[in-house]
Amino acid sequence: MKFNYHLIMIAFRQLRNRKRQTFLTLLGISVGVMVLITAVSLMDGLLQSFIQKIVEIAPHVIVSGEKVKPTVPDQLVASGNGTHVTFIKNVSRDDQEVIKNYPRVESLIASDSLVQLVSPSVSTDVIGMFGTVSEPIQLFGIIPHVEDGIEKFSQNMVSGNFDELGRTPDGIMLGSTTAKDFTAQVGDRMQIVSPSGRIYSVRVVGIFMTGINDIDDNCYVNIRLGQNIGGFSPDEASNLYIRVKDLPKDTLVAKTIERETNYKAITWEEKAASVVALFKMISGIVYFLVFFVIMVAGFGVANVLITNVLEKARDIAILKSLGFKKSEITWIYLAQGLIVALVGAAVGCLLGYVLIEVMSSIPMASSSASAIRTDRLMMGKSPMYFIGASMFALIVSLIAAVGPSRNAAKVNPVEILRGER
Amino acid sequence: MEDALIRLRNVKKELAIRNGGEEIVTTILPDISFDITRGEFTAITGPSGSGKTTLLYLMGGLDKPNSGSVFLDNEEISAMTEEELAEMRNAKLGFVYQFHFLLPEFTAVENVMMPMLARGRAGVNEARRRAVELLSEMGLADKLNNKPNQLSGGQQQRVAVARALANHPMVLLADEPTGNLDSKSAEVIYRLFARLNEETGQTIVVVTHDEHFASETGRILHILDGQLDSDRKLR
Repeated sequence: MKFNYHLIMIAFRQLRNRKRQTFLTLLGISVGVMVLITAVSLMDGLLQSFIQKIVEIAPHVIVSGEKVKPTVPDQLVASGNGTHVTFIKNVSRDDQEVIKNYPRVESLIASDSLVQLVSPSVSTDVIGMFGTVSEPIQLFGIIPHVEDGIEKFSQNMVSGNFDELGRTPDGIMLGSTTAKDFTAQVGDRMQIVSPSGRIYSVRVVGIFMTGINDIDDNCYVNIRLGQNIGGFSPDEASNLYIRVKDLPKDTLVAKTIERETNYKAITWEEKAASVVALFKMISGIVYFLVFFVIMVAGFGVANVLITNVLEKARDIAILKSLGFKKSEITWIYLAQGLIVALVGAAVGCLLGYVLIEVMSSIPMASSSASAIRTDRLMMGKSPMYFIGASMFALIVSLIAAVGPSRNAAKVNPVEILRGER
Repeated sequence: MEDALIRLRNVKKELAIRNGGEEIVTTILPDISFDITRGEFTAITGPSGSGKTTLLYLMGGLDKPNSGSVFLDNEEISAMTEEELAEMRNAKLGFVYQFHFLLPEFTAVENVMMPMLARGRAGVNEARRRAVELLSEMGLADKLNNKPNQLSGGQQQRVAVARALANHPMVLLADEPTGNLDSKSAEVIYRLFARLNEETGQTIVVVTHDEHFASETGRILHILDGQLDSDRKLR
């Protein structure tokens, strides 16, 4: 059927005749679209900035001492007709899993052209003591100038100087959270109790803050001291941190490492998977709630149309007696739903754009001072938010318009014309 | 017989009225047959509730008989689907009701254009030209862009007549077109109808209980209790 201009005119004029109700419905759609756009932008922006930060200051691939697969048969056990082979020791020493002869592994990994940087580290759970406070902390032994290329400590120092760590054999650098717990400051001396019970005296040379809690809990010393405290031999490391040249290739790098060295290598995506999943879940909940805002706007559309159809029953009867077909009557009211949705979505997009701009320019008192490169809310920006929200509003409005429009088409002219007598 | 534009054959119409739980079926037209010839100006008269309006709706394809058949222009409209009826009404019929029944959001010209625009029968410019022409004929050349509520009752009814004539209908069906008008305005409508019939040979069927109006027509069908009581040719 031909969608004629006069049908849209009828639809439009009937809406214009009910200015206030139409305006309120339009406002409902606009607010729904605006809230949806803003919510998507906010959630997307948070996730993007989180990932961006992780990628910037966390290792892209972490190699640990865990073996991918034990390749040496451990035992042969006769059973029935054949023999069973076990690869895992059924009695094994509760050793820390370490990368043995790490310099060799390190140079092997570094020879991969995709790898930018390899940084060895040892990690040990120790007790830190300062004044009357003693707390368990995770202590990392690193080669400061190498590790800085991955975790960017020198850019995130709250106090002290990062270079000092490399020059101070008994120096320790505290994460901001730990420093706050101990109330320790640069220059203070504190004690570290190793797993074997020995006490080491160290001097605080710096405090850093990245804004990522996992990292800000940690404390760092030189790798030699770390090996001493943890009871590692000089060629042993707990992890090798790797920064790759081309980020999307990190999975490839991890696979190559596992194949060549037999040590387990995990990527940042795997490590951050739970956090990303959490983000996605929160986004899901937010979208679900916003969905209802637009649903309510849809009820508004249905409301306007139902009122219009009831009030215009006489006009519908006339149009039918003039020879308008059912489908044409249906179109008039579907068009009303469409007009309200289109105008509402357009206004909503405009409001959403303004709101995103305003929100991303409000200064936020950030708790992680230097860590976040910007002190503004990170808002995502993409035309897809606008297209998606508008499409959604359009679909909801159309669905809301279907019922009333079909009722309009069902109006029996004789009943209405008779009723007027 | 050749010239019979409308033919009713043994038409029976019952109306079911739901009263509380039970349905009361009233027979409005038990069995009625008559012809209306091309170019005739016919008045259907009778007391209220005699079934004359129902008769008009049946002829206009707005309602269907329970049995019997209605022919318009040798087509059995009582057997058409709703879509076919809509098409037929648009092409061959023009309606005028007791109340003007104009679309309140549209000006006089736009109201007259409506039947022409339905399904793109005519372009907007062409429709506007004819609407202006028709309204001028009705003496409303100075009221073209008035909304219905800016027109008097008689003027509204003349706009409705212009709208009914928009698509050059074979038959103009009018249901008490003067029922709601003062005598002066009613007089204008009488003359309009008479002139249309005389000058252009427009076939007109008008339901009225106005004896004066009926006497101006060419034929009076008097209906009593759904039966044809008398059929008088005046001219």
